[in-house]
Amino acid sequence: MSVVSQESQISSAEDLAQKLNSVDGVSSFVDQRSSGTQTRPVVKLQVSSENWREVAESLYVDHGVDYCSMITGIHWPDSKDKNWEIIYHFLRTGVKNPPHSDGVVQPIITNNSELKGSDVPLELEVTIHLGDTRTPSVASIQDIWVGADWNEKETWDLVGIDFEGHQGMRRVLQPHETPKGYHPLQKQHKLRYHNFQEMYDDAQGFKRKPVDSERVK
Amino acid sequence: MAEMWISMGPQHPMTHGLWTLKVKVDGETVVDTEPDLGYIHRGVEKICESRDFTQITTYCDRLCYASANTWSHAYIYAAEDLLGVEVPERAEYIRLVAVELQRLASHLMWLGAYGPDIGNLSVMVWCLREREMMMDLLQELGGSRMHYNFPRVGGVKRDLPHGFAMRARHKLSLFLDRIQEYESLFDESTIFLVRSQGVGYAKPEEMINHGVSGPNLRAGGVNHDIRTSHPYSVYSELDWTPAVERSSIKGADCYDRYRIRVEEMRQSAGLVLQALDKMPGGAETYHEPGDPKILAKAPSRAPEGTSGSHHFEDSRGESMFYIAGGGEGRGKMPYRVSIRSPMFITIPYASKCMIGYKVADIPAIMGSFDPCIGETDR
Repeated sequence: MSVVSQESQISSAEDLAQKLNSVDGVSSFVDQRSSGTQTRPVVKLQVSSENWREVAESLYVDHGVDYCSMITGIHWPDSKDKNWEIIYHFLRTGVKNPPHSDGVVQPIITNNSELKGSDVPLELEVTIHLGDTRTPSVASIQDIWVGADWNEKETWDLVGIDFEGHQGMRRVLQPHETPKGYHPLQKQHKLRYHNFQEMYDDAQGFKRKPVDSERVK
Repeated sequence: MAEMWISMGPQHPMTHGLWTLKVKVDGETVVDTEPDLGYIHRGVEKICESRDFTQITTYCDRLCYASANTWSHAYIYAAEDLLGVEVPERAEYIRLVAVELQRLASHLMWLGAYGPDIGNLSVMVWCLREREMMMDLLQELGGSRMHYNFPRVGGVKRDLPHGFAMRARHKLSLFLDRIQEYESLFDESTIFLVRSQGVGYAKPEEMINHGVSGPNLRAGGVNHDIRTSHPYSVYSELDWTPAVERSSIKGADCYDRYRIRVEEMRQSAGLVLQALDKMPGGAETYHEPGDPKILAKAPSRAPEGTSGSHHFEDSRGESMFYIAGGGEGRGKMPYRVSIRSPMFITIPYASKCMIGYKVADIPAIMGSFDPCIGETDR
Protein backbone atom coordinates (compact mmCIF):
# COMPACT_ATOMS: atom_id res chain seq x y z
CA MET A 1 0.00 0.00 0.00
CA SER A 2 1.51 3.29 -0.98
CA VAL A 3 -1.23 5.66 0.15
CA VAL A 4 -1.18 7.84 3.23
CA SER A 5 -2.87 6.18 6.21
CA GLN A 6 -5.92 7.87 7.64
CA GLU A 7 -4.84 7.64 11.29
CA SER A 8 -1.59 9.51 10.75
CA GLN A 9 -3.41 12.11 8.65
CA ILE A 10 -6.00 12.73 11.37
CA SER A 11 -3.48 12.98 14.20
CA SER A 12 -1.23 15.25 12.18
CA ALA A 13 -4.22 17.43 11.23
CA GLU A 14 -5.17 17.78 14.90
CA ASP A 15 -1.59 18.74 15.79
CA LEU A 16 -1.58 21.45 13.16
CA ALA A 17 -5.00 22.78 14.15
CA GLN A 18 -3.85 23.02 17.77
CA LYS A 19 -0.67 24.90 16.84
CA LEU A 20 -2.56 27.27 14.56
CA ASN A 21 -5.05 28.15 17.30
CA SER A 22 -2.27 29.97 19.15
CA VAL A 23 -1.66 32.33 16.20
CA ASP A 24 -3.36 35.76 16.49
CA GLY A 25 -6.75 36.10 14.82
CA VAL A 26 -7.10 32.44 13.89
CA SER A 27 -9.62 29.89 15.00
CA SER A 28 -9.05 26.47 13.55
CA PHE A 29 -10.52 23.00 13.83
CA VAL A 30 -10.36 19.69 12.01
CA ASP A 31 -13.33 18.81 9.83
CA GLN A 32 -13.95 15.23 8.75
CA ARG A 33 -15.12 15.23 5.15
CA SER A 34 -16.17 12.25 3.10
CA SER A 35 -16.53 11.73 -0.60
CA GLY A 36 -16.90 8.47 -2.42
CA THR A 37 -15.96 5.72 0.02
CA GLN A 38 -13.16 7.63 1.79
CA THR A 39 -13.13 10.09 4.64
CA ARG A 40 -10.39 12.66 5.03
CA PRO A 41 -9.54 15.38 7.55
CA VAL A 42 -9.44 19.02 6.45
CA VAL A 43 -7.87 21.67 8.70
CA LYS A 44 -10.25 24.63 8.57
CA LEU A 45 -9.16 28.11 9.55
CA GLN A 46 -11.22 31.21 10.13
CA VAL A 47 -9.00 34.27 9.86
CA SER A 48 -9.82 37.95 10.24
CA SER A 49 -8.84 40.01 7.23
CA GLU A 50 -6.50 42.31 9.23
CA ASN A 51 -4.40 39.39 10.42
CA TRP A 52 -4.34 37.51 7.14
CA ARG A 53 -0.93 38.63 5.91
CA GLU A 54 0.88 37.60 9.14
CA VAL A 55 -1.04 34.34 9.31
CA ALA A 56 -0.12 33.52 5.71
CA GLU A 57 3.57 34.16 6.38
CA SER A 58 3.42 32.00 9.47
CA LEU A 59 1.68 29.20 7.54
CA TYR A 60 4.42 29.21 4.94
CA VAL A 61 7.45 29.67 7.20
CA ASP A 62 6.51 27.92 10.43
CA HIS A 63 4.02 25.28 9.38
CA GLY A 64 5.37 24.12 6.03
CA VAL A 65 2.24 24.89 3.99
CA ASP A 66 3.93 25.01 0.61
CA TYR A 67 1.26 24.76 -2.08
CA CYS A 68 -1.63 27.08 -2.88
CA SER A 69 -4.39 25.23 -4.72
CA MET A 70 -7.18 27.65 -5.28
CA ILE A 71 -8.69 30.95 -4.24
CA THR A 72 -12.46 31.34 -4.35
CA GLY A 73 -14.37 34.56 -3.87
CA ILE A 74 -18.08 34.53 -3.03
CA HIS A 75 -20.50 37.43 -3.07
CA TRP A 76 -23.23 37.07 -0.40
CA PRO A 77 -25.51 40.10 -0.75
CA ASP A 78 -28.33 38.45 1.24
CA SER A 79 -26.40 36.84 4.04
CA LYS A 80 -26.62 38.17 7.59
CA ASP A 81 -23.07 37.77 8.84
CA LYS A 82 -20.96 38.39 5.77
CA ASN A 83 -21.07 40.22 2.49
CA TRP A 84 -18.00 38.78 0.84
CA GLU A 85 -16.18 35.57 1.54
CA ILE A 86 -12.74 34.51 0.38
CA ILE A 87 -11.77 30.87 0.62
CA TYR A 88 -8.20 29.68 0.17
CA HIS A 89 -7.36 26.04 -0.37
CA PHE A 90 -3.83 25.00 0.52
CA LEU A 91 -1.98 21.73 0.59
CA ARG A 92 0.87 20.86 2.85
CA THR A 93 2.47 18.46 0.38
CA GLY A 94 5.20 17.31 2.76
CA VAL A 95 7.62 16.73 -0.14
CA LYS A 96 11.28 17.64 0.17
CA ASN A 97 13.55 18.84 -2.58
CA PRO A 98 14.95 15.68 -4.14
CA PRO A 99 18.73 15.29 -3.69
CA HIS A 100 21.18 15.18 -6.62
CA SER A 101 23.88 12.68 -7.30
CA ASP A 102 25.94 12.06 -10.46
CA GLY A 103 24.13 14.93 -12.14
CA VAL A 104 20.78 13.20 -11.79
CA VAL A 105 17.90 14.00 -9.45
CA GLN A 106 17.19 11.07 -7.13
CA PRO A 107 13.48 11.08 -6.32
CA ILE A 108 12.60 10.48 -2.69
CA ILE A 109 10.36 7.45 -2.95
CA THR A 110 9.01 6.78 0.50
CA ASN A 111 6.29 4.44 1.52
CA ASN A 112 3.52 6.99 1.98
CA SER A 113 1.74 4.83 4.52
CA GLU A 114 4.71 5.23 6.91
CA LEU A 115 4.82 9.03 6.83
CA LYS A 116 4.59 10.74 10.22
CA GLY A 117 4.41 14.18 11.80
CA SER A 118 5.04 17.12 9.52
CA ASP A 119 5.70 14.90 6.47
CA VAL A 120 2.07 13.83 6.26
CA PRO A 121 0.23 15.59 3.40
CA LEU A 122 -2.66 17.71 4.62
CA GLU A 123 -5.47 19.84 3.25
CA LEU A 124 -6.15 23.31 4.60
CA GLU A 125 -9.10 25.58 4.01
CA VAL A 126 -8.85 29.22 5.08
CA THR A 127 -11.98 31.38 5.22
CA ILE A 128 -11.99 35.17 5.46
CA HIS A 129 -15.22 37.13 5.84
CA LEU A 130 -15.53 40.72 4.72
CA GLY A 131 -18.31 43.09 5.76
CA ASP A 132 -20.65 45.20 3.69
CA THR A 133 -18.48 47.17 1.29
CA ARG A 134 -18.44 48.20 -2.35
CA THR A 135 -14.69 47.71 -2.56
CA PRO A 136 -13.82 44.39 -0.94
CA SER A 137 -10.11 43.83 -0.58
CA VAL A 138 -7.67 41.62 1.27
CA ALA A 139 -3.87 41.33 1.48
CA SER A 140 -2.17 39.62 -1.43
CA ILE A 141 -0.14 36.44 -0.93
CA GLN A 142 1.30 36.45 -4.44
CA ASP A 143 4.89 36.81 -3.20
CA ILE A 144 4.61 33.94 -0.70
CA TRP A 145 3.06 31.35 -3.01
CA VAL A 146 3.67 32.22 -6.65
CA GLY A 147 0.92 29.73 -7.50
CA ALA A 148 -1.58 32.18 -5.96
CA ASP A 149 -0.67 34.84 -8.52
CA TRP A 150 -3.11 33.89 -11.27
CA ASN A 151 -5.69 32.70 -8.76
CA GLU A 152 -5.81 36.24 -7.36
CA LYS A 153 -6.01 37.73 -10.84
CA GLU A 154 -8.93 35.45 -11.63
CA THR A 155 -10.75 36.21 -8.38
CA TRP A 156 -10.50 39.93 -9.03
CA ASP A 157 -11.51 39.51 -12.65
CA LEU A 158 -14.61 37.42 -12.01
CA VAL A 159 -15.70 38.31 -8.46
CA GLY A 160 -14.27 41.80 -7.97
CA ILE A 161 -12.34 41.21 -4.77
CA ASP A 162 -9.16 43.26 -4.83
CA PHE A 163 -5.83 42.06 -3.45
CA GLU A 164 -3.72 44.77 -1.83
CA GLY A 165 -0.12 44.66 -2.95
CA HIS A 166 -0.74 42.42 -5.95
CA GLN A 167 1.70 43.26 -8.74
CA GLY A 168 0.38 43.39 -12.30
CA MET A 169 -3.34 42.96 -11.69
CA ARG A 170 -5.22 42.61 -14.97
CA ARG A 171 -8.13 40.84 -16.64
CA VAL A 172 -7.23 37.23 -17.34
CA LEU A 173 -10.39 35.47 -18.44
CA GLN A 174 -12.47 38.38 -19.65
CA PRO A 175 -11.51 40.67 -22.54
CA HIS A 176 -9.07 43.44 -21.69
CA GLU A 177 -11.58 46.11 -22.70
CA THR A 178 -14.20 44.90 -20.20
CA PRO A 179 -15.62 48.02 -18.47
CA LYS A 180 -14.22 48.90 -15.08
CA GLY A 181 -16.29 47.53 -12.25
CA TYR A 182 -17.89 44.68 -14.20
CA HIS A 183 -17.34 41.38 -12.40
CA PRO A 184 -19.77 38.70 -13.64
CA LEU A 185 -19.82 36.42 -10.61
CA GLN A 186 -21.33 39.14 -8.42
CA LYS A 187 -24.90 38.24 -7.70
CA GLN A 188 -26.60 41.29 -9.24
CA HIS A 189 -25.68 39.86 -12.65
CA LYS A 190 -28.22 37.26 -13.57
CA LEU A 191 -27.96 34.42 -16.01
CA ARG A 192 -31.66 34.17 -16.74
CA TYR A 193 -33.80 37.19 -17.53
CA HIS A 194 -37.55 37.68 -17.73
CA ASN A 195 -37.48 38.94 -21.29
CA PHE A 196 -35.05 40.13 -23.89
CA GLN A 197 -35.51 43.78 -23.02
CA GLU A 198 -34.26 43.24 -19.54
CA MET A 199 -31.26 41.55 -21.02
CA TYR A 200 -30.38 43.90 -23.84
CA ASP A 201 -31.31 47.29 -22.37
CA ASP A 202 -28.46 46.98 -19.98
CA ALA A 203 -26.26 44.16 -21.14
CA GLN A 204 -23.31 45.09 -18.95
CA GLY A 205 -25.51 45.37 -15.90
CA PHE A 206 -24.33 48.77 -14.70
CA LYS A 207 -27.80 50.16 -14.05
CA ARG A 208 -28.83 46.98 -12.32
CA LYS A 209 -28.75 47.37 -8.58
CA PRO A 210 -27.47 44.83 -6.11
CA VAL A 211 -30.31 42.66 -4.86
CA ASP A 212 -30.07 44.14 -1.38
CA SER A 213 -30.04 47.80 -2.40
CA GLU A 214 -33.63 48.49 -1.42
CA ARG A 215 -33.40 47.06 2.03
CA VAL A 216 -32.79 49.21 5.07
CA LYS A 217 -29.64 48.22 6.85
CA MET B 1 19.96 44.19 -31.22
CA ALA B 2 16.65 45.88 -30.47
CA GLU B 3 14.17 43.78 -28.52
CA MET B 4 10.62 43.41 -29.79
CA TRP B 5 7.32 41.80 -28.84
CA ILE B 6 5.81 39.12 -31.10
CA SER B 7 2.31 37.69 -30.67
CA MET B 8 2.13 33.92 -31.12
CA GLY B 9 -1.56 33.18 -31.43
CA PRO B 10 -4.47 33.17 -30.94
CA GLN B 11 -4.35 31.19 -34.20
CA HIS B 12 -1.03 29.41 -34.14
CA PRO B 13 -0.14 25.72 -34.47
CA MET B 14 1.78 25.96 -31.19
CA THR B 15 -1.14 27.05 -29.08
CA HIS B 16 -3.28 23.85 -29.08
CA GLY B 17 -6.40 25.96 -28.73
CA LEU B 18 -7.17 29.65 -28.67
CA TRP B 19 -4.74 31.70 -26.66
CA THR B 20 -1.93 34.13 -27.23
CA LEU B 21 1.63 33.97 -26.08
CA LYS B 22 3.33 37.33 -26.33
CA VAL B 23 7.04 36.78 -26.70
CA LYS B 24 9.72 39.42 -26.30
CA VAL B 25 12.65 38.46 -28.46
CA ASP B 26 16.20 39.66 -28.84
CA GLY B 27 17.13 38.28 -32.25
CA GLU B 28 16.28 34.59 -31.95
CA THR B 29 16.39 34.46 -28.15
CA VAL B 30 13.32 34.72 -25.93
CA VAL B 31 13.80 37.44 -23.31
CA ASP B 32 10.33 37.66 -21.77
CA THR B 33 6.89 36.11 -22.22
CA GLU B 34 3.35 37.05 -21.30
CA PRO B 35 0.48 34.59 -21.77
CA ASP B 36 -2.94 35.99 -22.64
CA LEU B 37 -5.89 33.70 -21.99
CA GLY B 38 -9.66 33.89 -22.01
CA TYR B 39 -10.50 33.49 -25.70
CA ILE B 40 -12.94 30.67 -24.99
CA HIS B 41 -14.17 31.72 -21.57
CA ARG B 42 -17.71 30.32 -21.39
CA GLY B 43 -18.54 31.23 -17.81
CA VAL B 44 -19.10 27.65 -16.66
CA GLU B 45 -18.93 28.73 -13.01
CA LYS B 46 -21.76 31.20 -13.53
CA ILE B 47 -23.84 28.75 -15.59
CA CYS B 48 -23.54 26.17 -12.80
CA GLU B 49 -25.29 28.55 -10.41
CA SER B 50 -28.55 28.03 -12.29
CA ARG B 51 -28.31 24.27 -12.83
CA ASP B 52 -29.08 21.53 -10.34
CA PHE B 53 -26.46 19.09 -9.13
CA THR B 54 -27.13 16.42 -11.79
CA GLN B 55 -27.13 18.86 -14.69
CA ILE B 56 -23.70 20.28 -13.85
CA THR B 57 -21.94 17.01 -14.77
CA THR B 58 -22.65 17.72 -18.43
CA TYR B 59 -20.91 21.09 -18.24
CA CYS B 60 -17.91 19.62 -16.43
CA ASP B 61 -17.52 17.05 -19.21
CA ARG B 62 -17.09 19.89 -21.64
CA LEU B 63 -14.31 21.57 -19.69
CA CYS B 64 -11.72 19.53 -21.53
CA TYR B 65 -12.45 17.65 -24.73
CA ALA B 66 -9.46 15.32 -24.33
CA SER B 67 -10.18 14.35 -20.73
CA ALA B 68 -13.91 14.63 -20.13
CA ASN B 69 -14.30 11.81 -17.61
CA THR B 70 -11.67 13.07 -15.16
CA TRP B 71 -13.41 16.44 -14.98
CA SER B 72 -16.91 15.14 -14.39
CA HIS B 73 -15.52 12.79 -11.73
CA ALA B 74 -13.67 15.65 -10.03
CA TYR B 75 -16.98 17.50 -9.80
CA ILE B 76 -18.90 14.46 -8.59
CA TYR B 77 -16.53 13.87 -5.66
CA ALA B 78 -16.93 17.48 -4.53
CA ALA B 79 -20.71 17.25 -4.90
CA GLU B 80 -20.73 14.05 -2.82
CA ASP B 81 -18.71 15.83 -0.16
CA LEU B 82 -21.29 18.62 -0.16
CA LEU B 83 -24.37 16.39 -0.12
CA GLY B 84 -22.89 13.73 2.16
CA VAL B 85 -23.38 10.59 0.08
CA GLU B 86 -21.89 7.18 0.77
CA VAL B 87 -21.00 5.51 -2.53
CA PRO B 88 -21.15 1.72 -3.08
CA GLU B 89 -17.73 0.17 -3.51
CA ARG B 90 -18.49 -1.39 -6.85
CA ALA B 91 -19.33 2.04 -8.24
CA GLU B 92 -15.95 3.32 -7.06
CA TYR B 93 -14.18 0.55 -8.97
CA ILE B 94 -16.17 1.31 -12.12
CA ARG B 95 -15.27 4.98 -11.73
CA LEU B 96 -11.61 4.10 -11.37
CA VAL B 97 -11.75 2.09 -14.59
CA ALA B 98 -13.43 5.01 -16.39
CA VAL B 99 -10.98 7.62 -15.07
CA GLU B 100 -7.84 5.63 -15.79
CA LEU B 101 -9.01 4.73 -19.31
CA GLN B 102 -9.63 8.45 -19.81
CA ARG B 103 -6.15 9.27 -18.55
CA LEU B 104 -4.77 6.83 -21.12
CA ALA B 105 -6.82 8.42 -23.90
CA SER B 106 -5.75 11.90 -22.80
CA HIS B 107 -2.03 11.06 -22.63
CA LEU B 108 -2.27 9.37 -26.04
CA MET B 109 -3.92 12.47 -27.44
CA TRP B 110 -1.07 14.53 -25.98
CA LEU B 111 1.59 12.21 -27.38
CA GLY B 112 -0.12 12.26 -30.75
CA ALA B 113 -0.22 16.05 -30.76
CA TYR B 114 3.29 16.50 -29.41
CA GLY B 115 4.89 14.47 -32.21
CA PRO B 116 3.83 16.85 -35.02
CA ASP B 117 4.75 19.80 -32.77
CA ILE B 118 8.38 18.87 -33.01
CA GLY B 119 8.55 17.26 -36.41
CA ASN B 120 7.65 13.60 -35.85
CA LEU B 121 4.48 13.43 -37.88
CA SER B 122 3.97 9.68 -38.21
CA VAL B 123 3.58 9.19 -34.48
CA MET B 124 0.30 11.08 -34.51
CA VAL B 125 -1.48 8.42 -36.55
CA TRP B 126 -0.09 5.67 -34.37
CA CYS B 127 -1.24 7.28 -31.14
CA LEU B 128 -4.70 8.09 -32.45
CA ARG B 129 -5.10 4.46 -33.46
CA GLU B 130 -4.61 3.32 -29.85
CA ARG B 131 -6.65 6.22 -28.51
CA GLU B 132 -9.49 4.90 -30.62
CA MET B 133 -9.41 1.64 -28.65
CA MET B 134 -9.74 3.57 -25.38
CA MET B 135 -12.53 5.69 -26.84
CA ASP B 136 -14.39 2.53 -27.86
CA LEU B 137 -14.15 1.17 -24.33
CA LEU B 138 -15.30 4.48 -22.85
CA GLN B 139 -18.13 4.60 -25.35
CA GLU B 140 -19.34 1.24 -24.10
CA LEU B 141 -19.51 2.73 -20.60
CA GLY B 142 -20.88 6.18 -21.23
CA GLY B 143 -22.70 5.79 -24.50
CA SER B 144 -21.04 8.60 -26.39
CA ARG B 145 -17.64 9.16 -27.89
CA MET B 146 -16.13 12.15 -26.14
CA HIS B 147 -18.47 13.60 -23.53
CA TYR B 148 -19.67 10.65 -21.50
CA ASN B 149 -21.70 12.18 -18.66
CA PHE B 150 -20.91 8.93 -16.88
CA PRO B 151 -20.75 9.52 -13.10
CA ARG B 152 -23.80 10.31 -11.01
CA VAL B 153 -24.01 11.78 -7.53
CA GLY B 154 -23.93 8.56 -5.53
CA GLY B 155 -22.56 6.20 -8.14
CA VAL B 156 -22.40 5.67 -11.87
CA LYS B 157 -24.86 5.77 -14.72
CA ARG B 158 -24.43 2.17 -15.85
CA ASP B 159 -22.67 -1.01 -14.84
CA LEU B 160 -19.94 -2.51 -17.02
CA PRO B 161 -21.68 -4.00 -20.05
CA HIS B 162 -21.49 -7.72 -20.86
CA GLY B 163 -18.07 -8.67 -22.14
CA PHE B 164 -16.53 -5.32 -21.27
CA ALA B 165 -13.89 -6.83 -19.00
CA MET B 166 -12.81 -9.28 -21.69
CA ARG B 167 -12.55 -6.60 -24.35
CA ALA B 168 -10.74 -4.23 -21.97
CA ARG B 169 -8.19 -6.87 -21.02
CA HIS B 170 -7.60 -7.73 -24.65
CA LYS B 171 -7.19 -4.13 -25.76
CA LEU B 172 -4.97 -3.17 -22.85
CA SER B 173 -2.60 -6.07 -23.38
CA LEU B 174 -2.40 -5.11 -27.04
CA PHE B 175 -1.73 -1.53 -25.94
CA LEU B 176 0.99 -2.53 -23.48
CA ASP B 177 2.79 -4.27 -26.35
CA ARG B 178 2.40 -1.35 -28.68
CA ILE B 179 3.63 1.22 -26.18
CA GLN B 180 7.13 -0.17 -26.80
CA GLU B 181 6.71 0.73 -30.43
CA TYR B 182 6.09 4.36 -29.49
CA GLU B 183 9.13 4.40 -27.31
CA SER B 184 11.31 3.18 -30.13
CA LEU B 185 9.60 5.59 -32.52
CA PHE B 186 10.43 8.51 -30.23
CA ASP B 187 13.67 7.45 -28.62
CA GLU B 188 15.30 6.49 -31.90
CA SER B 189 14.20 9.62 -33.71
CA THR B 190 17.11 12.07 -33.79
CA ILE B 191 14.81 15.01 -34.51
CA PHE B 192 12.77 14.28 -31.40
CA LEU B 193 15.79 13.89 -29.15
CA VAL B 194 17.54 17.01 -30.42
CA ARG B 195 14.45 19.15 -29.99
CA SER B 196 13.30 17.82 -26.62
CA GLN B 197 16.47 17.12 -24.67
CA GLY B 198 18.06 20.02 -22.82
CA VAL B 199 15.26 22.52 -23.47
CA GLY B 200 12.63 23.96 -21.15
CA TYR B 201 14.13 23.08 -17.78
CA ALA B 202 11.58 23.27 -14.96
CA LYS B 203 13.22 23.25 -11.56
CA PRO B 204 11.83 20.88 -8.92
CA GLU B 205 12.63 23.39 -6.13
CA GLU B 206 10.25 26.00 -7.50
CA MET B 207 7.48 23.97 -9.11
CA ILE B 208 5.53 23.32 -5.87
CA ASN B 209 5.61 27.00 -4.97
CA HIS B 210 4.43 27.90 -8.48
CA GLY B 211 1.47 25.56 -8.13
CA VAL B 212 2.62 23.12 -10.82
CA SER B 213 1.26 19.62 -10.24
CA GLY B 214 0.67 16.26 -11.81
CA PRO B 215 2.95 14.70 -14.43
CA ASN B 216 4.78 18.00 -14.98
CA LEU B 217 5.82 18.01 -11.31
CA ARG B 218 6.70 14.33 -11.12
CA ALA B 219 8.88 14.74 -14.22
CA GLY B 220 11.20 16.80 -11.98
CA GLY B 221 11.66 13.98 -9.48
CA VAL B 222 9.14 15.25 -6.95
CA ASN B 223 7.06 12.43 -5.55
CA HIS B 224 3.64 14.04 -5.19
CA ASP B 225 0.45 12.49 -6.47
CA ILE B 226 -3.01 13.37 -5.16
CA ARG B 227 -4.07 9.76 -5.63
CA THR B 228 -1.65 8.62 -2.92
CA SER B 229 -1.13 11.70 -0.74
CA HIS B 230 -4.81 12.64 -0.40
CA PRO B 231 -6.37 9.26 -1.10
CA TYR B 232 -9.78 9.10 -2.71
CA SER B 233 -11.63 6.37 -4.61
CA VAL B 234 -10.14 2.87 -4.21
CA TYR B 235 -6.54 3.60 -5.15
CA SER B 236 -5.55 2.39 -1.68
CA GLU B 237 -6.83 -1.10 -2.49
CA LEU B 238 -4.60 -1.51 -5.52
CA ASP B 239 -0.92 -2.30 -5.59
CA TRP B 240 0.98 0.54 -7.22
CA THR B 241 3.33 3.46 -6.66
CA PRO B 242 3.19 6.66 -8.72
CA ALA B 243 5.81 6.99 -11.46
CA VAL B 244 8.50 9.58 -10.72
CA GLU B 245 11.12 10.56 -13.27
CA ARG B 246 14.85 10.85 -12.53
CA SER B 247 15.50 14.16 -14.24
CA SER B 248 18.87 15.85 -14.68
CA ILE B 249 20.34 18.19 -12.10
CA LYS B 250 19.07 21.25 -13.99
CA GLY B 251 15.45 20.14 -13.67
CA ALA B 252 12.90 18.45 -15.88
CA ASP B 253 13.30 19.05 -19.61
CA CYS B 254 10.79 18.27 -22.35
CA TYR B 255 12.17 14.75 -22.70
CA ASP B 256 11.49 14.02 -18.99
CA ARG B 257 7.93 15.21 -19.40
CA TYR B 258 7.52 12.82 -22.32
CA ARG B 259 9.04 9.93 -20.33
CA ILE B 260 6.79 10.45 -17.31
CA ARG B 261 3.64 10.37 -19.42
CA VAL B 262 4.67 7.13 -21.11
CA GLU B 263 5.30 5.64 -17.65
CA GLU B 264 1.92 6.89 -16.46
CA MET B 265 0.22 5.26 -19.40
CA ARG B 266 1.73 1.91 -18.43
CA GLN B 267 0.59 2.48 -14.89
CA SER B 268 -2.96 3.47 -15.81
CA ALA B 269 -3.29 0.35 -17.94
CA GLY B 270 -2.07 -1.71 -14.98
CA LEU B 271 -4.53 0.00 -12.64
CA VAL B 272 -7.46 -0.77 -14.94
CA LEU B 273 -6.45 -4.43 -15.18
CA GLN B 274 -6.10 -4.69 -11.39
CA ALA B 275 -9.43 -2.97 -10.81
CA LEU B 276 -11.19 -5.37 -13.19
CA ASP B 277 -9.74 -8.30 -11.24
CA LYS B 278 -10.58 -6.96 -7.80
CA MET B 279 -14.02 -5.56 -8.50
CA PRO B 280 -16.51 -6.61 -5.82
CA GLY B 281 -19.09 -8.90 -7.38
CA GLY B 282 -16.79 -9.58 -10.32
CA ALA B 283 -16.37 -7.62 -13.52
CA GLU B 284 -18.67 -9.95 -15.46
CA THR B 285 -21.81 -9.39 -13.39
CA TYR B 286 -24.24 -6.81 -14.63
CA HIS B 287 -26.65 -4.67 -12.61
CA GLU B 288 -29.48 -2.70 -14.13
CA PRO B 289 -29.06 1.10 -14.10
CA GLY B 290 -30.19 2.50 -10.75
CA ASP B 291 -29.40 -0.69 -8.81
CA PRO B 292 -28.26 0.16 -5.24
CA LYS B 293 -25.04 -1.79 -5.91
CA ILE B 294 -23.92 0.90 -8.36
CA LEU B 295 -25.99 3.96 -7.44
CA ALA B 296 -26.75 5.17 -3.92
CA LYS B 297 -29.62 7.50 -3.16
CA ALA B 298 -28.53 11.10 -2.88
CA PRO B 299 -30.28 14.19 -1.54
CA SER B 300 -30.94 16.83 -4.18
CA ARG B 301 -30.66 19.93 -1.99
CA ALA B 302 -27.81 21.47 -0.06
CA PRO B 303 -28.75 24.09 2.55
CA GLU B 304 -26.94 27.39 2.96
CA GLY B 305 -23.78 27.19 5.01
CA THR B 306 -22.68 23.81 3.66
CA SER B 307 -19.73 23.44 1.37
CA GLY B 308 -17.87 20.66 -0.37
CA SER B 309 -14.47 20.44 -1.99
CA HIS B 310 -12.26 17.79 -3.47
CA HIS B 311 -8.72 17.60 -4.80
CA PHE B 312 -8.50 15.30 -7.80
CA GLU B 313 -5.60 14.01 -9.87
CA ASP B 314 -6.53 15.06 -13.39
CA SER B 315 -4.53 13.96 -16.45
CA ARG B 316 -2.78 17.33 -16.37
CA GLY B 317 -2.33 17.93 -12.67
CA GLU B 318 -4.38 18.69 -9.61
CA SER B 319 -7.91 19.75 -10.48
CA MET B 320 -10.28 20.87 -7.79
CA PHE B 321 -13.88 21.86 -7.21
CA TYR B 322 -15.31 23.94 -4.40
CA ILE B 323 -19.10 24.06 -4.13
CA ALA B 324 -21.07 26.24 -1.73
CA GLY B 325 -24.64 25.13 -1.10
CA GLY B 326 -27.77 27.20 -0.67
CA GLY B 327 -28.47 28.64 -4.08
CA GLU B 328 -31.72 29.10 -5.99
CA GLY B 329 -34.68 26.81 -5.36
CA ARG B 330 -33.99 26.37 -1.62
CA GLY B 331 -30.60 24.83 -2.20
CA LYS B 332 -31.49 22.81 -5.27
CA MET B 333 -28.76 24.64 -7.15
CA PRO B 334 -25.31 25.48 -5.85
CA TYR B 335 -24.70 29.03 -4.66
CA ARG B 336 -21.20 29.09 -6.07
CA VAL B 337 -19.07 26.60 -7.97
CA SER B 338 -15.38 27.29 -8.20
CA ILE B 339 -13.02 25.33 -10.40
CA ARG B 340 -9.28 24.95 -10.12
CA SER B 341 -7.80 24.17 -13.48
CA PRO B 342 -4.26 22.76 -13.39
CA MET B 343 -3.31 24.31 -16.74
CA PHE B 344 -4.52 27.77 -15.72
CA ILE B 345 -1.83 27.76 -13.04
CA THR B 346 0.80 25.93 -15.09
CA ILE B 347 0.68 28.05 -18.24
CA PRO B 348 2.25 31.15 -16.56
CA TYR B 349 5.03 28.95 -15.19
CA ALA B 350 5.54 27.15 -18.51
CA SER B 351 5.85 30.52 -20.22
CA LYS B 352 8.62 31.47 -17.81
CA CYS B 353 10.44 28.23 -18.63
CA MET B 354 10.97 29.47 -22.20
CA ILE B 355 13.08 32.45 -21.27
CA GLY B 356 16.60 32.05 -22.56
CA TYR B 357 15.73 29.55 -25.30
CA LYS B 358 15.26 30.12 -29.02
CA VAL B 359 11.96 30.98 -30.67
CA ALA B 360 11.99 27.60 -32.40
CA ASP B 361 11.97 25.87 -28.99
CA ILE B 362 8.68 27.47 -27.91
CA PRO B 363 6.38 24.81 -29.46
CA ALA B 364 8.52 22.04 -27.98
CA ILE B 365 8.43 23.54 -24.48
CA MET B 366 4.79 24.60 -24.47
CA GLY B 367 3.59 21.32 -25.98
CA SER B 368 5.46 19.28 -23.39
CA PHE B 369 3.37 20.81 -20.56
CA ASP B 370 0.19 19.45 -22.21
CA PRO B 371 -1.91 22.62 -22.30
CA CYS B 372 -5.66 22.29 -22.72
CA ILE B 373 -7.40 25.60 -23.24
CA GLY B 374 -10.92 24.37 -22.65
CA GLU B 375 -10.26 23.81 -18.96
CA THR B 376 -7.95 26.80 -18.66
CA ASP B 377 -10.56 29.31 -19.76
CA ARG B 378 -13.60 27.51 -18.34
